[in-house]
Amino acid sequence: MTAKDIEPTRSLAKRRRLPDEIGVAGALVALVVVVGVVQPRFFDVKNLLNLVANNSIVAILAMAIVFLLATGEIDLSFGYILNLAAVSSGLLMIAGLPVIAAVAAAIVIGGLLGALNGVLAVSFRLPLIIITLGTASMFQGLSLVINRSGSVVPPQEIRETWFFQFFGGQSGFPFPPIILVLGAVFIILSVLFKRTRFGYRVTALGSNPEAARLAGIPVHRVKIQVTVLMGLTAGLGGVLFLGFRGAVDPTTGSGYLLPVIAAAIIGGNPLSGGSGTLVGALLGALVIAVIDTGIVFLGIDAVWSTFVTGTVIVVAVGIDQAIRFQRRRAER
Amino acid sequence: MKKIFQASAIGFMALVLAACGGGVTTSESTSSSPAETTDSVSEETTDSVSEEQAPLTIGFVTHVIGNPFIQQIIDAAQQAADDLGVTLQVTGPAGAEADAQLKAAQTLVAAGVDGIAISVPSESMAQGLNQIITDGTPIVTFNLMQSSVNAPYVGEKSVESGRVLGAAMLDAIGGASASGQAILGNCFPGFPVLENRATGVQESLSIATGVEILGPFDVKVDAAENYGKWEGLLGANPDALALIGLCAPDIASLGKLKQANPDSAFLGGGYDLTTENLAAIKSGDATMSLGQTPFMQGYAPVYMLVDAIRNGIDIGKPSFLNSGTEIVTKDKVIEPFGLPSITFAELEEIAASPAKSREYYQPLVDGVIANWQSELRPIAEESS
Repeated sequence: MTAKDIEPTRSLAKRRRLPDEIGVAGALVALVVVVGVVQPRFFDVKNLLNLVANNSIVAILAMAIVFLLATGEIDLSFGYILNLAAVSSGLLMIAGLPVIAAVAAAIVIGGLLGALNGVLAVSFRLPLIIITLGTASMFQGLSLVINRSGSVVPPQEIRETWFFQFFGGQSGFPFPPIILVLGAVFIILSVLFKRTRFGYRVTALGSNPEAARLAGIPVHRVKIQVTVLMGLTAGLGGVLFLGFRGAVDPTTGSGYLLPVIAAAIIGGNPLSGGSGTLVGALLGALVIAVIDTGIVFLGIDAVWSTFVTGTVIVVAVGIDQAIRFQRRRAER
Repeated sequence: MKKIFQASAIGFMALVLAACGGGVTTSESTSSSPAETTDSVSEETTDSVSEEQAPLTIGFVTHVIGNPFIQQIIDAAQQAADDLGVTLQVTGPAGAEADAQLKAAQTLVAAGVDGIAISVPSESMAQGLNQIITDGTPIVTFNLMQSSVNAPYVGEKSVESGRVLGAAMLDAIGGASASGQAILGNCFPGFPVLENRATGVQESLSIATGVEILGPFDVKVDAAENYGKWEGLLGANPDALALIGLCAPDIASLGKLKQANPDSAFLGGGYDLTTENLAAIKSGDATMSLGQTPFMQGYAPVYMLVDAIRNGIDIGKPSFLNSGTEIVTKDKVIEPFGLPSITFAELEEIAASPAKSREYYQPLVDGVIANWQSELRPIAEESS
């Protein structure tokens, strides 16, 4: 066989190569079909839209954490950044600040908290996971101080403004508007990750930090930028939660850590860094959502639900790692 | 290959899921022993909610799964479902995550349940729950409440129970002339019911001008963390006269703490009558615990929902059904609603056996629960 014979074969193989996310997409479809066949009500459009809406914040955070995972880092504090941003926004509204200004302030606050994480990690030359072990408690504690361990509930006249009416589902919009935000964030983050120099630098940093530094990539600056992005997204998540639910509690955000990271990993994002897929993270979030919802639809005992959820996550992560190992062996 | 493998594995798990769902019916899986329900009890169910009525499914959503006190509530709810011939579907997050709990309720509605019984730990759940009610699915709340939810609430009078606990503990440490420190612990700061309990306890303790009230401190709900927090508080205040908890895990922790520090003078008081808590009281390591009649908090919401659905009763507004307060020390057991007197040993048996519990609380079923409509009070009475 000559080189000319190989070339068309390779081109054909390249054209035929399925996207990496096809596996998790197939799994999602399989889950939806299985649950829906057993319980046809699952296919109800309103149910499916509510499923997406209820898990939009997890999906948004999962897409943002792809950037961090691509650099080989993890942030443990984003749930509490979300909480503190939401609490701040609510309190600012109650204090008289216009709703839009309070929303913008919360997103900025999220970005600043993210920046704090990045600056501390870079300054102390510590992995972000260690820094955010501490800042998570700091942000949680600060939130408890400013909300006095209670819920922040904007009064009725504020909850009748467009922001709450729209995101709370009272405006008559044909589907939950938070899904629009999910779509917009997906587009923006996808462009950022795949089409900008920033996105290239993120994956380069994760692939080989030393090589990235030698190539002239400002490593510290990129690390801080990624944490700022995570903080901004968490802040956005906080105001979306406030608009969606109409109130924020002391524990809001504390339960997001596991599902967000699990969504990203199920979607095919490696913990080791160097690559990432936002589509995968989005699909991973939907997989977790369908599992959680499917367990209720199928009437599985609440005690078993935790086991089933954890098992699926372990299987997905284990298979992903096994296949990567095999691929590395094949490439040698 | 990777993608096929990945899809197959998750698809396989999906099939396991479906198989589990098909094989495990909710009423059988959650009932500790349906066979223990006596025939005579089923026959005594009132005519208005008899078993001959149309089959219904009630969703039962708790704020945490795997907690002994919550399990007592779930057991009672299952007994109500068995008595009334309805299916009970129990769900809830492993940890206390309000948003996950709300999503579970919304999913149950989408799955077609006829009514929802739910504990409401967070205000952020209120809007979603009110939407469920507006859309036509009735709700009854229990154990934890938010007054903004348009539904009846079955629970204790939280400030009043705090007053009772505070007064009893003050008595135990020397009464109005007592002098020293009393430490309060709250496993979930911000929960209105727990904050109300704290208010009541502090009200009673403040009668003794010589008693310095410290806290409430966050003592966490996880058993291991809870013990650690109390241990730290005692270490910081070794001469404290009383350690008073507001949640279910506290008495067991305080009992262990007393065993570990036998020379310490503190007396422990708190809430709920789980087997662990009763063991601590029996051994003398804890002084007293208040119960909030978990049987009532489990049975009544299911009964009320079934009655409301079958008889077209509108329950879409805030109201309060008092579940009563039980007072238990090593030497005495005081039950609410004029229930028969029982000894501590009998209470232990009741706490450990859903069947015995069912038998003992039959007068409640025939009385307060059967007449729930006339027993309902304005929601403001919960915190009076």
